[in-house]
Amino acid sequence: MKGLAPLFLGIFGTFAFSWVGLTVIPNWQIGHLNPQSDEEGTDIYPQPQSGMFERGAHVYTANGCMYCHSQQVRADYAGADIERGWGNRRSAPRDYIFERPLFLAKMRMGQDIANIGARAPAEQQSPPPGGAASPATSPGGATSPAASAAPKSAAPAAAPATQGAAASSPPATQQSASPSAAGSPAPKGSPSAAPSTGVASPSPGAMANSSPGATTTPSSGPQTAGPPWPEQTRGEPPMYSAAWHHVHLYSPRSINLDSNMPSYRFLYEKRRIRDQRSADALQLTGSDAPPEGWEVIPTYDAKCLVAYLMALNQSHPLNDVRSAGGAPAASAAPSPAAAAGSPPPSPAPAK
Amino acid sequence: MNATGIPLKEPSVSAAAGATEQLERAYIDASTRVPVLMFYTSAIAWLVLGTLLAGFVSFKLHEPDLLSNISFLTWGRVRPAHMNVMVYGWASMAGMGTAIWLMARLCRTVLRYPLLLVAAAGFWNLGVLLGVGGILLGDSTGYQWLEFPGYAAIILFVAYTLIASWAVLMFRYRRGEQIYITQWYLLGAFLWFPWLYAAGQLMLFVVPVQGVLQSAVGWWYANNLLFLWFGAIALGTAYYMIPKVIGRPVYSYHLATIGFWTYALFSSWTGMQRLVDGPFPAWMITASIAAMILSMIPVATVGLNHHMTMRGYFPLMRYSPTLRFTVFGAMSYTVFSVVGLLISLRSVARYVNFSQTSIAYSHLGLYAFFTMVIFGAMYYIVPRLVGREWRYASLIKLHFWASAYGIGLMTLMLLAGGFLQGTDMENPSLPFSETVETVLPYLRGRSLAGILLTAAHFIFAYHFGLMLLGLGRTSTVPTFLNPVETETSGGH
Repeated sequence: MKGLAPLFLGIFGTFAFSWVGLTVIPNWQIGHLNPQSDEEGTDIYPQPQSGMFERGAHVYTANGCMYCHSQQVRADYAGADIERGWGNRRSAPRDYIFERPLFLAKMRMGQDIANIGARAPAEQQSPPPGGAASPATSPGGATSPAASAAPKSAAPAAAPATQGAAASSPPATQQSASPSAAGSPAPKGSPSAAPSTGVASPSPGAMANSSPGATTTPSSGPQTAGPPWPEQTRGEPPMYSAAWHHVHLYSPRSINLDSNMPSYRFLYEKRRIRDQRSADALQLTGSDAPPEGWEVIPTYDAKCLVAYLMALNQSHPLNDVRSAGGAPAASAAPSPAAAAGSPPPSPAPAK
Repeated sequence: MNATGIPLKEPSVSAAAGATEQLERAYIDASTRVPVLMFYTSAIAWLVLGTLLAGFVSFKLHEPDLLSNISFLTWGRVRPAHMNVMVYGWASMAGMGTAIWLMARLCRTVLRYPLLLVAAAGFWNLGVLLGVGGILLGDSTGYQWLEFPGYAAIILFVAYTLIASWAVLMFRYRRGEQIYITQWYLLGAFLWFPWLYAAGQLMLFVVPVQGVLQSAVGWWYANNLLFLWFGAIALGTAYYMIPKVIGRPVYSYHLATIGFWTYALFSSWTGMQRLVDGPFPAWMITASIAAMILSMIPVATVGLNHHMTMRGYFPLMRYSPTLRFTVFGAMSYTVFSVVGLLISLRSVARYVNFSQTSIAYSHLGLYAFFTMVIFGAMYYIVPRLVGREWRYASLIKLHFWASAYGIGLMTLMLLAGGFLQGTDMENPSLPFSETVETVLPYLRGRSLAGILLTAAHFIFAYHFGLMLLGLGRTSTVPTFLNPVETETSGGH
């Protein structure tokens, strides 16, 4: 090759082409999305997060959670994510407009957690109702960590507990004030996905234990709100509750023997009990339990991390994305009573 | 062809080179001595550290309780530390050292402004050190291959600016009209890297793009770093080493031109295929998949060119360490590209997405292709810098086989394990923990491969240390892997 000029021009030209094509043009296309809202300008989604969420995201980054957990749900035609109960619709660019840093991630040595907050027991999705704690819900689970660790903004918190459940469960399980609902979290996505596969598939908690009750249809009476699901060891906090996350982070294999998640004990503090056991002390069993007179409590970082996890929730419908189970965007209006009172909406086409 | 039929030349004595030219080369080589050795020594130190970190990461993945109570040794911190040590500590420094030496040789001029390079090597080491420390202390940014916190990134950039300005200066002093193929690639790499790095940093941290575009920019960066920085350096090096060692010109200059320009054009458009089925406009992903397919053009042309150059000379791989490593690397380039193409097709990606397969792909590119070519170059260059020949042929052979089997086993384990993992994941009747159970045996196999690679790297570091201390052989012939006199059968 003779002469530098063509070489230089070519080197710059090819790279400029790629830079413009793959970063500048996409930025022009989807780089300035706004949150969506309904006609009245309310029900805004997504909303920016702050405070403990931000710090939790930092803890998440610092400890490399994204090297094993993705936060993106693929469309039903592209993968089994929705059937696995990881979400009720595919993720869309708009879901992430306030995320910084962003953890779409490429690896699933652990489950996808784009909707881990949406899988929390119903009572943790809104302020805990007074006196609603069932036997299965520990004081630590339902009270302070939950309340303080869920700095969710108005929209996700006000949205019905879980959309799949909202669409087809009987009213009783939707009332977050109902004791039974508090005790047995209705698994998100379960009712809507069950007809299509029939096996344990729709269980969001397929990773933990066996799930005998996974295929049962939602029960009708408020007194028999279905078996506790997934099967829980006595004394364990409900799945995906804040207290559960703490125990899981502290000792993953106490919850699921097969897990290969590392424990994050350095985010917890073991200390002597002073006057009385702290409200947010972890309920540990077996060899993890601290000696008599000691307790394990989460550090502020651990609380922030759990707050962050509890706020991961893409269950809010997006106008341009079809939700699984046909839950139309309209039913997302934050009025559980209205949604519960109406008959289950039939599968509607995407909006 | 019978090996004895080929005149095994002492590589620096090319048939055409007269006595003056030889002297001139020796003079140029001597001028590169301090900076190149500085880059190489740092690179090998980082390689050893990165290998230890890698082994730790690999074992922790199937033994999660190993030292998990210490915050800076948690898996999620050691893994990015390993990746960044390898990418910026080992691969970049070794690549730059090789590129510096090649630039001086190909510009046919003594290395000027060595202080620029010495300062750059110092800054670069400092940047990597701070960056890795930052990651272990929890300061990672969380973007693949850009995990270094801002303070480390700035230092790296300063160091890099020094190197790039040196390269441009050297180019002005070059002699001869002709610009050799290797120089195209090296010049490309030197000019692409700063743009790439600056664009990545700016679009992610200074004026961050919104939402999912961060991932797009992140993967655009990582992919182009792999192709336009490491790939370009490795291809350029292979274009120099293969003809040099066998003493024969490149088969076709024309093919080389096509290969270079299609490489620059198409491989730079890949990257988005890693985000297949993600929350992106479909055209971005499709464009990258198309670019992956078109990237077969440079693969074919470069592969054909190397093959035709080597034709009849393959038996030489039995003797020359440089040739053996370089040809292994050049062949891996083809494998790497084909695997990359296969796993990016939508129908396959469905099953391998989110699995260990992508780790296999990265290792094919960074190790089987890039690192092996650079090992070959080091076996060629280091004796010319220290004035001694490699001491033990047996150690070189051990290094080669441990590396070759190690990376081969690792790739197979991760590809097979990843495929099964992904297939299980696509079957919603299997609980998720099954998918992890499925891949664990393969991860243990990967750890075994890691032990082989660790052995290879310690052997190489020891051998290199001997060379640095002046304990190499004093001889006029290079160290051959097998004695030339007694061997008569070729081809292995």
